[in-house]
Amino acid sequence: MKFHDGTPFNAEAVKINFDRMSNKDNNLRAYRNYKYIKSTEVVDEHTVKVTLNQPFSAMINKFTTGIISPAALEKYGKDITKNPVGTGPYKFVEWVQGDHLTVELNPDHWNKGAAKVGKIVYKPVPENGSRVAMLKTGEADVIYPLPEQQVETLNGEEGVKVERTPSTITRYVSINMLKKPFDDPRVRQAINHAVDKDAFIKVVKSGYGTQLESVMSPTIAHYAKQGAYEYNIDKAKQLLKEAGYENGFTTDIWGNTNSDTMKGMQFIQQQLQKVGITVEVKSMEEATLSDEIYGIKSPEEAKMNMWYVSWSSADPDNAMRSLFSSENFPPAGANTAFYKNDLVDQSIKEATQSSDQDKQKQLYGVVQENVFKDAPWIFLAVDEILYGKRANVNGVYITPSGGIYVREAAFQ
Amino acid sequence: MFRYIVKRLIEIIPIIFVVSLLIFFFIHLVPGDPVRLAAGKEATLEEIERVRQELGLDKPLLTQYVNYMHNLLTGNLGHSLKTGLPISDMFENRFSVTMTLTFMSLGWALVLGLLIGTISAVFRNKWPDYVGMLTAISGISLPGFWLGLILIQVFSVTLGWFPTGGVESWKSYVLPSLTLGAGIMSMLARFTRSSLLETLKEDFIRTGRAKGLKESVVVRKHALKNSMIPVVTIAGLQFGFLLGGSVVVETVFSIPGMGRLLIDSIAFRDYPVVQAVILLFSLEFILVNLLVDILYKALNPKIRYDS
Repeated sequence: MKFHDGTPFNAEAVKINFDRMSNKDNNLRAYRNYKYIKSTEVVDEHTVKVTLNQPFSAMINKFTTGIISPAALEKYGKDITKNPVGTGPYKFVEWVQGDHLTVELNPDHWNKGAAKVGKIVYKPVPENGSRVAMLKTGEADVIYPLPEQQVETLNGEEGVKVERTPSTITRYVSINMLKKPFDDPRVRQAINHAVDKDAFIKVVKSGYGTQLESVMSPTIAHYAKQGAYEYNIDKAKQLLKEAGYENGFTTDIWGNTNSDTMKGMQFIQQQLQKVGITVEVKSMEEATLSDEIYGIKSPEEAKMNMWYVSWSSADPDNAMRSLFSSENFPPAGANTAFYKNDLVDQSIKEATQSSDQDKQKQLYGVVQENVFKDAPWIFLAVDEILYGKRANVNGVYITPSGGIYVREAAFQ
Repeated sequence: MFRYIVKRLIEIIPIIFVVSLLIFFFIHLVPGDPVRLAAGKEATLEEIERVRQELGLDKPLLTQYVNYMHNLLTGNLGHSLKTGLPISDMFENRFSVTMTLTFMSLGWALVLGLLIGTISAVFRNKWPDYVGMLTAISGISLPGFWLGLILIQVFSVTLGWFPTGGVESWKSYVLPSLTLGAGIMSMLARFTRSSLLETLKEDFIRTGRAKGLKESVVVRKHALKNSMIPVVTIAGLQFGFLLGGSVVVETVFSIPGMGRLLIDSIAFRDYPVVQAVILLFSLEFILVNLLVDILYKALNPKIRYDS
């Protein structure tokens, strides 16, 4: 196996890449996942031995980062991001920033013949309507993402196909558990009972999606289904009464300025109104919002009450440790609900250190059960990935995490 | 005349200085942190600090401004925080794309605007006038992104005459420039009409007609040229509107130009890029208006440039 520039792909190449990513001084984003590596040794041509500085079960998933040609790393230095050289079925041709990126078939690929399309051009088209128009006219062969509302306009269109696939994206409302009245679990549970998840999917997601029945998507390893909070207004009112909020309360919900987000927030507002909770919808431009949520000095400073948001996770570690471990309170991490449960903290820690899959499954099961019960979120939905393609395109898929898979791309 | 132009060009320097100062401090006042956006949601505090240092954003704001101005005066626009590319490289292709788009829009706007305005004035209160002014009102009222999507639906999807976007050939520019120019075209049509109606009441027009000149000659040779000053002024001022409108139009038609770059950079709080784009837009606006002032002389030799 060879890189696109002819350099052999071997253990030495892997070592150079792992050393590069685990070196703090290189300031790479991948360092986050590779900082657990203590050393990488070349055993023989096709084997490397990686030693970690602490047990970390999720490492195996983190290894999926691409390996770059050592010769290219040498040649381009910091400019490697603009001149990628890998081993894949397609090799890099050019990137005109903001306009397009072109790749062409790699004639020396080990699995030659699987991909049949000679050249692929990736083009960013930010406007939904324009993207759909490009598919209709045939200027684009595949478009992603395909907005839910536009699916109807494509159904029945000749030569065009709409594809659906389950995603790793969870959609929820994060609730600030440090603030009153959300510090009471009964209030959070009541809110969950007060929201009709089926109606949410129908109204906000145009019917594309499934109820979120755990803290992550069923596509992630060690998923444990918890069943949904039943839509029951009486139960919600009862719980609020027990918590001392019989007459409801007033709060606000934050989200970005995306029209889908606005729709989602208004839906929550209208649902909670039925149990006496008055919600003010506040939409903020994305970077401002991110600053308000993550740019705080300490957790107590957080002004957020509820945040309408989504999360796409790669593995159970990323789905649970990042979002529910108490060491990850903002500004240090993404546990925006400020969720803290000692049993959950302990289970996550043990799961991270165990390489036994059964034990991991059991521990991550404990986490999912407890978090779901404690309700730091309004559990809403798992998104479906929607994309459109011309009917004559084969072998191009969008993966659950939103990757564009072209390894078998072909025209009929 | 020459002295006047030199004087105006020198005046640009303090203007640019003030503009750069305003942009620099305003953009830093806006909430949002490029470092966090670059490092991602899961970044640790330590990582964030490292990135901040690497980008030089840990220094006091005043130091950052001094560095920025120092670079600017030596002709260095700096590097993008997001991509690390030199900003001058990023402008290379995008600048000509946006220039083509804005000048083509201005071209449509002038040609169609003058035509509609003249016809409306000549056929005042008759049906061509009503049709012309209805077109003008529509052109002003329709939001750019909506008009753009409708044009795509009709001329790209249904008729297949033009591509939906991109910049592959001159054809790609037709729909976006019509969309961008619609507002100014309408405004020019209205100004041409009213200005021409004023001029047509003048004594020298009556003299021309009395001499037995053909009506077409009266309108074209005598009236139109004398009605152009307010029209040219508006065209110059509205050029800024074109630059701003390029943000929307380039998004709808997926055009890799300065407008798209500006909106992407604002979303990412890519301070140096935002500063450079706005600075360049200001400079263009100033130059176009200088051109307008010079044009006055061609239109009316009585205008003098001394003082």
